[in-house]
Amino acid sequence: MHNHSVMSDDSRAKVENYCQWVHKRGVPIDGFVLSEHRKFDFESDYRSLEDEYGLRILKAAEVETDYGHVLVYGVNEDMYAAFDFSAIRLSLAEVVNEVARCGGIAVPCHPGRTRVGMLAHVRDRGPVEGVEVIETLNGGSRGTENDEAGGLAQEYGYRGIGGSDAHIVSHIGRCATRFADPIETVEDLVEALRGGDYQAIHTTGTEGER
Amino acid sequence: MSARRYEDVEFGEDLPEVLPDVGMVNVKRFCHATGMLAARFMDHEAAKQEQLPGAIVPGIMSQGLLVAAIHTWAPGCVVHFVDTVFRAPLLVDSHPICRAVVTDKDDDTRRIEIDLTIVNEAGETRVMGTAKVEL
Repeated sequence: MHNHSVMSDDSRAKVENYCQWVHKRGVPIDGFVLSEHRKFDFESDYRSLEDEYGLRILKAAEVETDYGHVLVYGVNEDMYAAFDFSAIRLSLAEVVNEVARCGGIAVPCHPGRTRVGMLAHVRDRGPVEGVEVIETLNGGSRGTENDEAGGLAQEYGYRGIGGSDAHIVSHIGRCATRFADPIETVEDLVEALRGGDYQAIHTTGTEGER
Repeated sequence: MSARRYEDVEFGEDLPEVLPDVGMVNVKRFCHATGMLAARFMDHEAAKQEQLPGAIVPGIMSQGLLVAAIHTWAPGCVVHFVDTVFRAPLLVDSHPICRAVVTDKDDDTRRIEIDLTIVNEAGETRVMGTAKVEL
């Protein structure tokens, strides 16, 4: 649900290598989502890799708001025109509303992380209306950050997803989200995220658990 | 010439873990050799005054430790490129582990790509990155 490729400025992972890694190491996932920083990749076509490796590869984005970083699923051209994905201090309220209006769903990620997570901002300024789902398991979180994210979800009734937050090949699949129904398309994913029949899971473990 | 052949390396192959010496004596030795004499590298109390949890290992020392791990595995190889992201401070006098794994092989250039991480005692990633290596 949360991985970066060479399309992100701080990642060196090639998508084909992610696929090879999942195959070689037997990582127990059916697919993954690429969530590039501050942009959406409209161009890349991964269908041949999907066929070769039997994986579903979907695309999303990770944008930056006044409440920290946010995963955006269901990106389309209307959404891309609705706000500036490259901005580093978007309004979370605006992102949540615009993404929903355009048919997607916004999910604050690594909420327990200092500065770039939602938790501290909620403590300072209160919750933001419209948030339904947060990333409660993040593969790059440290210490008690995931526990704090889980506590936040419990406090406000948010549903939780898991994401690896992979920036290098060998970090894919550290955390995942198990859906009750198969996910074939981004539309399936958005619908499932709105529905709530899923759970955040550890696969190969988060930071400190490997 | 590398002691390890390109043909013998597999995608997904783990390099042996290395336990680097980031004790204060060794870090000071590095700092004096490189002229990186900032107190945050060599004095825990001075580092804390800069809001750090303690003295930190210089970034280029971490890169050097990772490259040394590669050379331990493949003596004589040529490391063409190292790119690291410093996710959190690596503390002096801690007991980290350098890990590396082969994540790409390019048959045209006969170079391999290696994922690199330095984790602390809790298994948390402090430094991560990649290297391009010619064997």
